[in-house]
Amino acid sequence: MNPWRGLLALTMVALLAAGCVAQPVVDIKPGEQPPLDTDEAGFWMQMNRIEQRVRTSGRVVRDPELNAYLREIFCDLSPNYCGDIRLYIVRSPGFNAAMMANGTMQLWTGMLLRVQNEAQLAAVLGHELTHYLRRHTLQKWRDIRAKTDALVFFQFATTVVGLGIVGIVAQVATLGSIQAFNRDQERESDRVGFEMMAEAGYEPEAAPRIWDALVAEKEASYRPKGSIFFASHPTSEERRETLAEMAAAYQTTAAELGRKRFVEMTAGFRGGWLRDELRQRDFGAMQVVLDNLKQAGANLGELYYYQGELHRLRAETEEGDSDQAVTAYEKAIGLGGAPPEVYRALGLIHWSAKRESEAKLAFEAYLSAAAEAPDRAMIEHYLGQMQ
Amino acid sequence: MSIRIYPKIECRAPTPASRAVRLIATIGLVLFAAACTQTKVFVSDTELPEISGTARVLLMPSDVQVSELTAAGLLEPNAAWTASARTNIETALNSLMSGRNARLVHYRSATGDDSIDESHLQAFKLHEAVGATILVHKYVPAMALPTKKDKFDWSMGEAATVLRHSFDADYALFVYFRDSFASSGRAALIIFSALLGVGIPGGQQTGFASLVDLRSGDVIWFNHLFTETGDLRKPDSAHSATESLLKNLPL
Repeated sequence: MNPWRGLLALTMVALLAAGCVAQPVVDIKPGEQPPLDTDEAGFWMQMNRIEQRVRTSGRVVRDPELNAYLREIFCDLSPNYCGDIRLYIVRSPGFNAAMMANGTMQLWTGMLLRVQNEAQLAAVLGHELTHYLRRHTLQKWRDIRAKTDALVFFQFATTVVGLGIVGIVAQVATLGSIQAFNRDQERESDRVGFEMMAEAGYEPEAAPRIWDALVAEKEASYRPKGSIFFASHPTSEERRETLAEMAAAYQTTAAELGRKRFVEMTAGFRGGWLRDELRQRDFGAMQVVLDNLKQAGANLGELYYYQGELHRLRAETEEGDSDQAVTAYEKAIGLGGAPPEVYRALGLIHWSAKRESEAKLAFEAYLSAAAEAPDRAMIEHYLGQMQ
Repeated sequence: MSIRIYPKIECRAPTPASRAVRLIATIGLVLFAAACTQTKVFVSDTELPEISGTARVLLMPSDVQVSELTAAGLLEPNAAWTASARTNIETALNSLMSGRNARLVHYRSATGDDSIDESHLQAFKLHEAVGATILVHKYVPAMALPTKKDKFDWSMGEAATVLRHSFDADYALFVYFRDSFASSGRAALIIFSALLGVGIPGGQQTGFASLVDLRSGDVIWFNHLFTETGDLRKPDSAHSATESLLKNLPL
């Protein structure tokens, strides 16, 4: 080997080693802001800019009561950080929440649809807050920066000595390692978030129950399952087991679920959130969401309407679902509490199955139930065609 | 329990505005061709309105970000550099505009800090989207739109009038800059690669400016700048970059 090249490769390896020295990170204090000349301040600046867009996004749910309610739960959970965190309810299906370095917390309505009580909501809020107070964005960035820096020098060195293939292997290993770091942050957030909710007096057993539902949803989902090597989060199974162990070990005398108020506060929004979820057309996962809500048992009529909607939409690709849709809609009507659209949906199914008299009754019921129906003219036109 | 997203470096579900920002960022790469400062001005097709000596030009808060380029090519935003770059650009804008046929009105938020009021944010975001569209479809030949061939008639429409009413201004000037500097690791990599005859890019500077007629919302003048030299952290360099950007401003 050319000695020049050997020297160059050696220099690269030395640089690589230097890149791996990690700096210790301490928890952020309430009210603390990073000094301007730090890498952390750079992220805050960038996140402040993003937050400005989030604030005026059309997807943010602005209902003052719902916002005040979530804020109250958050501030009871963590009075010290109450002033540092801004909560944004984001209208989006799927179980998710996100924390940005500057204190912007996004809570997806798909998450609010799935948690069943204040205890579970508190576990989610505690998890997200942990990302903030442990400065996870900063830690992650430093990890990514050090690892990718080391990687390019390593790849450079291996290319110089003619071992480019080793560099490619290193690239895959680096990616895996960055994601492993991320999974460790998630584990830490699960643990600290659990402690926060349990110490605030919530029922510890509620935390692993979130993951029961998500494991079932994953199994029923139409979506392909990815490899854990590149996963940003630990598996739902692992998270459930860990939380279940922590809950079992936690000693508590008075623990509350806070179910009643949670149901009251979210009842008016649930229909819209279910519709968002249905539009994903992941009917396997959607069925699990509906089953869990039915089991908890608030406003079943509404749930059976969406059960019918699931069957009606699935009938476009799978056979035999139209009849199940009719059964579900009729059950929804019997139970009460379903939106007026249940009659319209029923009417459309009957009509396309050439059951004209049933269709007529259903459309008429729709028009009398929905005085302000925006599609009144259309339905009247349908009725006119039948006579 | 976040669950599928974690503390983020970037939004997972981008809003149209953040998508626009990303587009603008990629433009720098698309235009990355020569090492000199490149600018290209577009002027509205519609006849420029007669501008009297007292035209009031609202200077929107300049959108600036200065980052460090890591060895691997990632950008680390730097708040201190950004703050000095922003000061330098605004100083340059003040001095460059004072010699022109216009009176500069500075944007002032209700809170007095450098944020933008909620009532003006939508106009600001809309301009960002229009600007990104112009950059993509007017500056990248492969993306040229058949309907916009030999034409420059982009507009923010009525949304611009909110700025006119709030500040009693005739025009708004929007300025955007992104600058980056190689970290010591990147610099080392550039030197080592050069020894082997391989060229790796260092920091880059990109920017755009647009002048909007606040009566019609039309973008009446637009310029884009790209260079691999220059340093917005330094007053002189920021001044010459701003000067290049404002070249041929019809005021």
